[in-house]
Amino acid sequence: MNEIEAKNICRSFGRRDVLKDVSFTLEKGGFLSIFGPNGAGKTTLVKILSTLLSPSSGEVHIAGIKLDDDPTDIRKQIGLISHQPLLYLDLSAYENLIFYGTLYGVDDLEERAEKLLEQVELTHRRHDLVRTFSKGMQQRLTIARSLIHGPSILFLDEPHSGLDPHAMDILDGLIESIRADHTFVMVTHNLRKGLDLGSAAMIIEDGRIIFHKGKQDIDETEFEEVYRVAVRGEVQ
Amino acid sequence: MKPFKQFWVILKKDIIMEMRTKEMLVSMLLFVMLTMIIFNYAFRADRNDLTPFGGGLLWLAFIYTAFLGMNRSFVHEKDQGCLEGLLLSPVDRSIIYVSKMAGNLIFLSAVEFAAVPIFTMFFISFPYYMHPDKLGIFLLGLVLSNIGIAAVGTFVATLAVNTNRQDLLLPILGLPLLMPVVAPAVIISGTIMSGSTSKHEMELVYESLKILAAYDIIFFVVIAMIYDFILGE
Repeated sequence: MNEIEAKNICRSFGRRDVLKDVSFTLEKGGFLSIFGPNGAGKTTLVKILSTLLSPSSGEVHIAGIKLDDDPTDIRKQIGLISHQPLLYLDLSAYENLIFYGTLYGVDDLEERAEKLLEQVELTHRRHDLVRTFSKGMQQRLTIARSLIHGPSILFLDEPHSGLDPHAMDILDGLIESIRADHTFVMVTHNLRKGLDLGSAAMIIEDGRIIFHKGKQDIDETEFEEVYRVAVRGEVQ
Repeated sequence: MKPFKQFWVILKKDIIMEMRTKEMLVSMLLFVMLTMIIFNYAFRADRNDLTPFGGGLLWLAFIYTAFLGMNRSFVHEKDQGCLEGLLLSPVDRSIIYVSKMAGNLIFLSAVEFAAVPIFTMFFISFPYYMHPDKLGIFLLGLVLSNIGIAAVGTFVATLAVNTNRQDLLLPILGLPLLMPVVAPAVIISGTIMSGSTSKHEMELVYESLKILAAYDIIFFVVIAMIYDFILGE
């Protein structure tokens, strides 16, 4: 069963076409790694899939729900880790988790918040303001925030950027621990990580999918060549 | 129950953060006090009876104080992309609006209730003209005006949050939209502070209260209904 289904998505900002006729599917439990040069439309695609943007045309189904029909129901099932931590600097780590958990109507919220803080190794700093956290600690708390409501689909937009090796290990460990019963879409520039984690890989260039294959069909040399040509296009 | 919980948690978060940073309250209080001090010297309040102009001076200070505060009401949401976090959650957009508006209303009212007694000392000649039995009408006028200002101010602040000219947009869009609030507010405050009890003037006050109530209901309902489109993208 397809957990994510995108049909002919186009998205423009003014006269600029950022996404052009993007179609793909991702089965339940799948892990799609999306690569591409800066400005290719990767983040726009993630924003559309996570209900933050509407497509100019085309159809999106998430967990069997059409995006236009019930975005609120979709939001209950998705989590997002993006470039920005989406954390309130003047609330403590614990208060941030309780705040987001209450918005999602999470049961046993306090217990869940404590458990997540433990998993991201922030229990000792749970009552400190996020303002006092390092970038790596904020990113670890972001991981906890995105998991507070137990989403079944996770969108990761360059989740490893700015992380120290320890935070990277925690993120990878968490992904690994929930991998079996979650669906992932990850935007990354890290070829090795993307290919290792993903069950499928996609390259977007100038708003179009130029490469999309399942892991078993990927010839890494061919993939790297396509990727390098796409990124070089950005430089020119 | 869940929508109320969501409303309360967003409002509580805004109050907690404001109590910790005091960014809005301090800047609003300083501004309103400074305005009053300048008015005091400019109009030689020690020599002239400014009571007839009290309503106008009061609302001139309050309206810009409100803009100053509301410009900052989305700063925390913009920082670190928190607005995206709110939009990602399964919360009806109208609840986000009502919570943010309630926060603005509370902060604006707190500043006004601190400023009104000081204003009275500066500008209303002793013995004060205001009849104690008219205090309720004065406060009702203040509250209804604040609801209108918070309703429209929150709406415009949301529009402004994604623009580069955030500080400009609020007065440019907000002032024309708030004229129907400012005029009755000045009439109510001015009349009550001047101690007038003439039938004609009190009728004008009651009409102004009705205008404010109608404005509040219409703008609150319409903005809550369209807020999804405003926040949309």
